[in-house]
Amino acid sequence: IQTSAMFSELQKCPRNVLVCERSSFMNEKSRHDKHVSQHYFNYKVSARRYGCDGGVSGVEETGGWGWMGALTALCVLCDPGRFYALSYKTRIDQDDVVALLPLLILSVVKDTYEQLGLEGRPSQYYGSSALLVGTEAWSLPPCLSRYPWKELQASVDTQTLRDLPCPVLHGDDLRGETACEPHAFLEWLGAVAFVICSENEATSFLSTYECPEPRTLVDQAVLCTVTGLLLPEDIHSLLEELRRYFDQPKSSSWLSLVVHGFADSPISWGMAEHGFHKGGENFYSFVLFKNQDYWLHMGTGANDGCPP
Amino acid sequence: MSDPGAVGGSVTYQRLVHKNSSGFHYMKVSLVFEKEGKRIDGAFFKQLIISALRNVYGEIGAAFPFDVLKFEEKSLTAVLRVYNSGLVKLWSALTLLGSYQNETCAVRVVQVLLPYQYTGGP
Repeated sequence: IQTSAMFSELQKCPRNVLVCERSSFMNEKSRHDKHVSQHYFNYKVSARRYGCDGGVSGVEETGGWGWMGALTALCVLCDPGRFYALSYKTRIDQDDVVALLPLLILSVVKDTYEQLGLEGRPSQYYGSSALLVGTEAWSLPPCLSRYPWKELQASVDTQTLRDLPCPVLHGDDLRGETACEPHAFLEWLGAVAFVICSENEATSFLSTYECPEPRTLVDQAVLCTVTGLLLPEDIHSLLEELRRYFDQPKSSSWLSLVVHGFADSPISWGMAEHGFHKGGENFYSFVLFKNQDYWLHMGTGANDGCPP
Repeated sequence: MSDPGAVGGSVTYQRLVHKNSSGFHYMKVSLVFEKEGKRIDGAFFKQLIISALRNVYGEIGAAFPFDVLKFEEKSLTAVLRVYNSGLVKLWSALTLLGSYQNETCAVRVVQVLLPYQYTGGP
């Protein structure tokens, strides 16, 4: 009995949550604006087109500039409406993390919390950390205001893939009952990003992964990735540009936009606390259809609440 | 690919919440040999991992499938896919690996991912 109990422990894995929404950009009550606006700290955006010629316009022009402070400090405020900052190379589960929206958000370890003398609340995920949310960004504690800061320019990378097996999607089948199931679709997005072979035999020794069924073969796929400190406003602009792509006479049936949040950000959506656990999952993905319908997948990990 | 139909925005709002329903975890790992410059292929790498699993969990305990989705021979890095029920065993076996075929080596688990984080690419 003890052996089987131990064995069942070995089969456990970290909790994860995936929220899938389906709506239309033309719907007045569509929440896509709100979801994008409230996901403040994004480090990578990847726009992908499958089939047809031409690039993915709009991604190259995305500003993507941002300001990143070295640990624990920023001492200059610019236009509050466009000032975002996140401390650089700080780990949410071990170090002090500073974020500016321009609302000041601090995730600090116990010693720093005692030194600051500010009021906060215990972290939900790390027993020795606290989360503080300020009301005025310029009330920066003196001990945090003396460190260097620097602007980080975004980088853009474009990749073209040929003869790519691609899952068939039905816009009205979010659950994937007649076509591709959400987890299998997201797995396929990852396989494309990693340039992983998706045509393996079931008897192959190395890998049995293959593109989900039903599928089709596209002549060409274009992946355009922007990496940096990417603002919600930039992602809004990109989304609008991708929606306009379907005005072209020869456009593919759907596009995907994948947005990754910083694994070490103190918040995920809104003011919801975010933790790293094993991977720092903090992501959303749009699938845009020609008729302005969309799917939105939002994923978080074990040290997060449910996405909005 | 099918086209859902005309522009109209008449689609009904739909929301689904999946908890713990992803079947797989993904691991980015890096193999390091004490002797620099050693070159191996994907099949050798997979056999190395199978051997590590058997050493810790035995034949029966190691009898679960995993995929080497990608293996880069130059950098000896790989992306693995494993069922959720095998994650702990695979991760622990990789951590405890100290040598293979009398060669001192170690596997570093760089990152453990779910499908959505895995979508980000290298």
